[in-house]
This record gives sequence, C-alpha cells and structure tokens, in this order.
Amino acid sequence: MERGGDVAVIQFPGVNCEFETARAIRGLGLRAEVVRWNLVDGLLDRFAGFILPGGFSYQDRVRAGAIASREPIVDLIARAGKEKRPILGICNGAQILVEAGLIPGNRNEVEVALAPNRSDHRIGYYCNWIRVRVEPGPSFLSRWLDEREILPLPIAHAEGRFVSAHDGLMDGLLRSGQIPLRYVDGNGEPVDEPPYCPNGSVHGAAALSNDAGNVVAMMPHPERASYLHQLPDLLAGCWGDRKTALRTGEPGELFEAGPGARVLTAFCNAVKEVVS
Amino acid sequence: MREIPLDISLSDNEKDEVKRLLGRAPSPVELQLFDVLWSEHCSYKSSKPTLKEYLPTSGPTVLQGPEEDAGILHFTEWQGVKYGIVIAHESHNHPSQILPVEGAATGIGGVVRDVICMGGELIGVLDPLRFGDPEGPNGARSRRIAQGVVKGIAQYGNALGVPNLGGDLFFDRSFDSNCLVNVVALGLVEADRVVPSAVPRNRKEPYVFILVGKPTDSSGFGGATMASKDLEEEGAESKGAVQVPDPFLKRVLNVALAELFDTAHRRRIPIGCKDLGAGGISCMASEIAERGGVGVEIDLDLVPLAEEIPPHVAAVAETQERYGLAIPESFVDDVLALFNEQYDLPSIYRGAQAKVVGRFTEVEQLRILWKGDRVCDASVAAITTGAEAVRPEGPSPAPALERHHDFDGDLGEALMKMLGSSNGASAEPLFRSYDTEVMGNAVIRPGEADAAVILPVHGCPVGAAVTVDGNPWIGALDARLGGAHAMTEAARNLAAVGATPLGVTDCLNYGSPENPEVFRQFVEGVRGIREAADGIGLRDHPGSPIPVVSGNVSFYNQSDSENAVAPSPIICMVGTIVDVSQAVTLRLKQPGHALYLVGERYGELGGSLYHHVIHGDRGGKPPPVRYEEERAAIHLVSTWGEEGLLSAAHDISRGGLLAALAEMGAAEAPHPIGATIKIDDFGQDLSIAERLFTESGGFLIEVGPGEEERFRREAGEAGVPLFRIGEATSERRIRIRLGDETIVDLECESIRRVLDEGLAALFTGV
Repeated sequence: MERGGDVAVIQFPGVNCEFETARAIRGLGLRAEVVRWNLVDGLLDRFAGFILPGGFSYQDRVRAGAIASREPIVDLIARAGKEKRPILGICNGAQILVEAGLIPGNRNEVEVALAPNRSDHRIGYYCNWIRVRVEPGPSFLSRWLDEREILPLPIAHAEGRFVSAHDGLMDGLLRSGQIPLRYVDGNGEPVDEPPYCPNGSVHGAAALSNDAGNVVAMMPHPERASYLHQLPDLLAGCWGDRKTALRTGEPGELFEAGPGARVLTAFCNAVKEVVS
Repeated sequence: MREIPLDISLSDNEKDEVKRLLGRAPSPVELQLFDVLWSEHCSYKSSKPTLKEYLPTSGPTVLQGPEEDAGILHFTEWQGVKYGIVIAHESHNHPSQILPVEGAATGIGGVVRDVICMGGELIGVLDPLRFGDPEGPNGARSRRIAQGVVKGIAQYGNALGVPNLGGDLFFDRSFDSNCLVNVVALGLVEADRVVPSAVPRNRKEPYVFILVGKPTDSSGFGGATMASKDLEEEGAESKGAVQVPDPFLKRVLNVALAELFDTAHRRRIPIGCKDLGAGGISCMASEIAERGGVGVEIDLDLVPLAEEIPPHVAAVAETQERYGLAIPESFVDDVLALFNEQYDLPSIYRGAQAKVVGRFTEVEQLRILWKGDRVCDASVAAITTGAEAVRPEGPSPAPALERHHDFDGDLGEALMKMLGSSNGASAEPLFRSYDTEVMGNAVIRPGEADAAVILPVHGCPVGAAVTVDGNPWIGALDARLGGAHAMTEAARNLAAVGATPLGVTDCLNYGSPENPEVFRQFVEGVRGIREAADGIGLRDHPGSPIPVVSGNVSFYNQSDSENAVAPSPIICMVGTIVDVSQAVTLRLKQPGHALYLVGERYGELGGSLYHHVIHGDRGGKPPPVRYEEERAAIHLVSTWGEEGLLSAAHDISRGGLLAALAEMGAAEAPHPIGATIKIDDFGQDLSIAERLFTESGGFLIEVGPGEEERFRREAGEAGVPLFRIGEATSERRIRIRLGDETIVDLECESIRRVLDEGLAALFTGV
C-alpha cells in the first residue's frame, strides 16, 4: 500500500467501494490510500482530501450512515472540512456526511436526511444508470465542471431522497447553488419524480454541498463510471457515441476517462489547490 | 445449557461401518460427526461414481480441477502474471423453501467462502432460480418464496459488495413444494497465490488451528442432513437448520483475509485456509489436516460460542461467516492482531474474533477435547474417505413422441402472450434490485446480452464472460437432453457475446436418488453434460472437451407428498473474450443492417415456451442437440464476434426465433430502430408456428454492410446453415412477412411494455 498519499479513502467497517474509488483517484494522477476507520493518528497531517466511499457501513444499523458518523475519524474529517479541504461522500459516504451534520453544515446539527426512495412502482434498493446535470454554485463540482453539463452515472441505493424537516431549507440550497447535481429527464431538464429521478429527491437533488463548496455529498457513484468500458449499452448522446466508438478504437481506450472521471477530476483539482 | 438431542439419520449398516472403522462404539460426538459426513450433501455417496465416470475435469484450460472448494480455470496472462478464474456452485434449495430470505442469503454466503478461502478476489455471483407456478394452486406460496429469495440475494450480495452477473429464472409447477436456489461465485486469483485448503506440507515449525469469524452457535445444526432428505411439508422443525446470514461481518472478514493472504505471500509464510460449511469445525479441520498429511486436536472449550451448546453441536454446527486457518506458530500473533485489533472484530460484531482453538499433530487423528474429556478420536482418513451408496438406475422410458397442435390464431398475439408470461418476460425487475456495478469491472450487464462480461484485470482488455443455463421442461421430457441442452445453450450464450468457453461449474438438482427412476434421470443428465462437453468442445483446443472444474449435486428435491422436481442440471459456463471492446450486445444497432438466421429450424416444439403458454402443456419431442451443426455455428459466431463483425447477436432459445427478434428490437435504444424479416427461405416444410417458435439451436445476428460475402463463404465452408432473413429498419416496429403478406406487425414499445410488465408485479423491489 502506498504511503503519504494525497487522498484518504476512508474504510468504515461494511463499506464496499473503497478499492475501486482509490483506484479511480490514482488513475487521475493523485496518490490515494485506503485508510481504516480506526487509523486516526496523523490523519490530517498526511492527507489533503478525503473520500467517504459507498457501501453499508455498520450494516446500516439504526439508519444508513448513522453509526459511522459517530466514529472519531469523522470528527477529524469535520475539522478538515472547516479548513476548506475537499471532502466527497459517495452514496453511503453521503449518508454519513448528512448524519454527521456536515451537509449543508450551517448549524452544526443534522439538517437534511436521505429518506427512503419514493417511486410509484417499486420499493427499496434500486440500481440503474441515470443522468444528472451540473448546476452553478460554490462547490468544486460546479467550479470544475461545465455549467449544465450532463453526466450519465449509476446509482445503487435504497435511501437517496434528499429531504429536510426545516421549511424552505432545500429551496434555499437550490437558490444558493448548493445542489450541484440534479437528476434530469430525456430533455436534460431537472425532475423530482421517477423514473428519471430514481428516488423522488426534492428538486431532483443528486448531490448537496456545504456553503463553502468544499464538502459534497452525492448519491451517484462516479467511480463506477470512471472508464469508458463501464458505460452501459444504450446511452444516448456523446457518452453513448464514445462507448460505440470503442469498437473501432484501440483496446487501451477501454480505460479512458468516463463521465464519473469528470466528477472525480473536479475533486482532484480541488485537492491540488489545497496542496499548492 | 439448552438441550439439543443428537440428530442421526445414519442407517443401521452405516452405524455398523462407523463402529468397524473406529474399532469400538462411537461417542455421541463421533456419531454426530459421521452422520453429517456421510450425508448425501457432504459425501456425494450416491453421485460420486457417476461424476467420476463421466465428467471431464482436466484439460488445457484447467489450473485446478474439482479437488478443493472451487475449481480454477486459466483466464489470461497480463504483464507477466498468470490469472485464474475461481468458480464454485452451490444449491440452497431446502433452506430457501423454508425461510426464503435467509436461505437465499446464506446460499451466497456459503459459496463465496469457497472462492475467498482459495485466495480469490470475489468478482461476481449469479443465481439460477426455479420457483413454483405463480398462477398455480400453490401460487401464493410460490410468489412469496420467489420474492423472499430475491430479497435475500439482494440483501446479502449488495452489502457484501459483489456484482450480480445475472442468472436465470423458471417457474414451473414441479417446483411448487421445492424451489431451486442455486448460486455461483466467481473469483480472480493470481496462479501463484492460490491458498491451499491444506496444512502446508513444506512446514518448518508447528502449525495451529485458528478459527475466525462469528461465534459458533446452534444455527445451521443439521443443515447437511436437511439437504439430504425429502423436504417435510411445513418444515417448521427444520428452521433451526437454516443458517443466519451476516454480509456485514463477511465483508470485513473478506477484506481482512485478503490482507492476511497478501502479507503471508510477501513474507513467504505458507498457510492454509478453508471455509466452514457443512460439518462445521470438525469437518473443515479434518479435511485441511488430511490434505496436509497431519492430524488435528481441537479444544472445544476454546471455541468462541454465542450460546452454551453441547459438544456434538459445537463440533458440527454450520454457523455462517467463519473460516479456519492453518498458521505456523511464529505468525500467530500477527494473525490475531490483524483480525482482533486492526480490523477490531470484537468491537464491530458481538463475539466475533480470531482465536487459536487447536493444533495440528503428527498423529493423523481428529481429536476433540471438551471439558478435559476426549469426545472424539477418529483417524482423519476415515473421516474424509466418505461413504458410497450403490443406487439402481431405472429403465429408460419410451421417448416422448412428436405432438402436433394446429395453430390458427394471431401470431402477434401469441408472441405477446408468451413474452408477457412469467417464463417469457424480462428479468429486469430483479436485476434492478441487485448491484451490478460495484467493483467497477462491468462491461455487459445482465439483460444487455446473452452473457455478462466483466474486465476483472484492470488495464487488460481480456474479458470474462459468464452465463447460467438449464431448461427443466426439456429435462422433464428427456433427462439426457436436459444436461446436453444446458451445456449447449451456455456455449451459445457465450458465443453470442463474442466469447469462447474455458470451462463450467455445474449444479445437478434432482429428487431422491433412492428412487431408481430419479437416479436414472441423474445419470442421464450427467451423460448429457459429457456428451455436450465433447460435442461442442473447446474452440481453440480441438479435441478437448469443455471441462467441469467444480460443482454440486442436490438430491432429495421433493417433499413427502409430492413428486420430484423436473430434472434440473444447471450449468454455469465461463469464457473469455480477447478484447471486450468487441463484445456483442443483443439490441439492434443500425437501420439498414442485415439480419441473419444462423442454424436451420426443425419441427420440434416439445419443451418450448410456445407449448407451455399457448397450449398449456410440455409438448412432445424436444429438440435434439445436433452436435456437428451446433459446434460449427458456435465456433463461427464466437469468431465473428471476437473479430468485431457482429453488430448484435442473440441466441435462439426460449420463445424461438420470433421471441429473439422481439427482444432485440424492443430493447431500449438511443435512436428509433425496428426490423422486418421474411420467413420464406428456411424451414420450408414447417408450419409457420414451428418456424417462428421452435427452439432448435441457433442465433439471430445483425451484420453491417461489407461483410456479408465473407459471412456466406465462411458459413458455407463450415457447413453452417445461414439465411439472410431481413434487415433492421428505422421504424419502431417488428414485422414478419410470408410471401407478400405481413403476418405479424407489432410496435416495439408495446413489446417492451409487455416484457417489462410480465414480472413487475411479482418483483416490486426489496
């Protein structure tokens, strides 16, 4: 295992996307290390950016992300967040950030939740490819990705509906640009209803950020869309064309950057800024 | 302490044999141990001679045959490293019938341990599923079981972080009181890093036995025995024999084990590892000792227990999420620290830990101590030798006769009825409950093509393709063809994506072997597998059969009061594709491209979807396997696919040519596409229904311009019947023409809807 990496991918017990997430970051030129949840010594000295990867930390006991959010390592990550270091929570990692009160993180308390998916015909866990649109705002995603850029990404969760008990909080986040990714329909317009919005998330929110923009919680899995070979067969648009073009290209193109690599590159750029 | 009586199913003869082996009367622990070991489930006592006689287990693609927990196929070499694919197949039929969620979940839990303990990185699971008729007299129960099984698979697999690579699904009344839940696990391993299921023979110091994982309890006590007899109708008393799943603990264990294997490899410390399955601690320890030429002494008082249980239970209970390790004394502290401190098992799961519970001895005996008494002292050879039962094979029944039904209804309506039936509909609603993306290796997902394709070695373009197949309707009509078709269809599915087979793992599901008719079905099924292994063969190694490197036999799939399940040999075939950028999916791609039928049609509707849905019976004579034609077509299509000549391909199976075309045309597509075909030029002496719905082997392929001349020439040279039957169009319709008449004209979106809705009401999510 590499030492002294720039990005720590935190391995809580039960997460299961840590290795491919670290691999995807390394593929973008940064050093990344999988760090066990109980290795807290020197964490902030060694790493500039932090990713909380997907999975089922502590078996989703109580609520998804609830137990892991109480681990001491999360206090350190919260401190890194205050220092404006980039933090990305993916899926279960997003649930942990929300449970830790780091998203949107204004009041030092839990303000939003990831509620069970709401869909007309199905209940529970749902795995499929959806499309999100990049919205302007303070987050590193909005800064480094093209405004209104559309990215096909896979989701896989049972609780992915961003909601808040505070009146108007989600509306405020929309206005302040703290919803950097929104689910969109076939015409590229944001939707909050299935099937294009797979979970019924308010304002079609697929991701939320804090107001400084350095902490992002997203439900889609960019690490599963980091290489062209991972794209499904039926995508329309430029990413579909690129997948089709693999047939006439060189085999090495299978591992060229996919739409998820765009997301992770934005994160890496933010990390590089902190380092330099 | 809870009273748990001995649970003994041994016959009087077998009890005498135990006495003879030991030279004295067995202790209660010994009796319980032999009872488990000599169960059908553990000993393969009825099936072993047949498997040995017929199945090819070695060959140029085999790194390791069926001697350990899983087999290993030679996958590829990349940057100087030789990679193997580890494959294992298990059944969890009775547990799933009794407790569907837990039964199916522990099915995955068990089979993945077989892959992990060999040093493999888990890269996929697949589930062949057979349920009772959801509309039949036991429909409510069948639906509940189907839903529970899917939930169990999803809950365990998703949390474990293993991608689901598909499976297959059949509903039939013969599974009403005994569902089949088979599970396949695939792993990737570097050839020089396979961990033996043995105490290493090159040891330089004493070895101890470390047990790691969940604390032992009485769950799963009697599991092997339960799998080895008829299922009792209600099964309430067997619930305790179903294990309790825990994918969370398993995930942490697997990650920690991988780190242990890595450390041992780097420090060149030989270790052994084996999972705990049927027969629990005693069985696992005896096997690992016997293979290392040593004995083992286990101190039951050291075994972490979740509850106080008697020694005959602790010694054989099938508690989930446990592995056993053979570790040299000088390495013990590091191993214990890895599990108990670094991964902190005791804090994240009550009672979980790694602990030294025994030692390996030069005396080749299994000795078990309990409260100072030696409660077992038997030679490991005697324990692992196993039993054998000679079963008579019943006479062959008269072959099924051709049965003709006239069909004068609307063909389009018939197709829609077939595609909307539980056996014709899309399995999409199931796949959406499974994580198909985790690990990031996906190339072709379940449902996108006839086989799933993944890229297990990052940076290397060689893909692994995998499919599971088996048609119980054919098995019911002709037991040998059941095995032969499962193999042949699997090979066709791999060819359709542009892959070529490396080998298979099988799961053979039948009723009671004590019934000569059932035993005949089993033997015939195995003969069918052998016949097809030879008949199709390895494309790149002429003369070599497709090897069977691991598998499972599940007998007693019947309840007291009802007949045995339809003979169900199920095949999981793994293949390679040299460059996955050429991998072929089934959806139509480009208007104007030609559509070719590969393989002649014959009038043989027995066992077809058409017969079941339209006429409500199994029909008569099922299609034979015409090996010359099948082999040539499979090898040709896989070569065309590999070379990037196919735009789309689909094998012709359930629902025949018309269903294949409908599925290709109705697939979600980024731009409008449909097809028009003409059915005048093939199967000219057949009825229209036979031409469209017969399940004679074959393919439907889409081909771009410029290659057609070459296609015709190569097919001619190979003796493969090839018919240009039409083309893809830019209209979202499927049209079938005969002469000047259009006999089917359907909207693709209507077909899509029918396919999607067929199972949507049954599988509404987990």
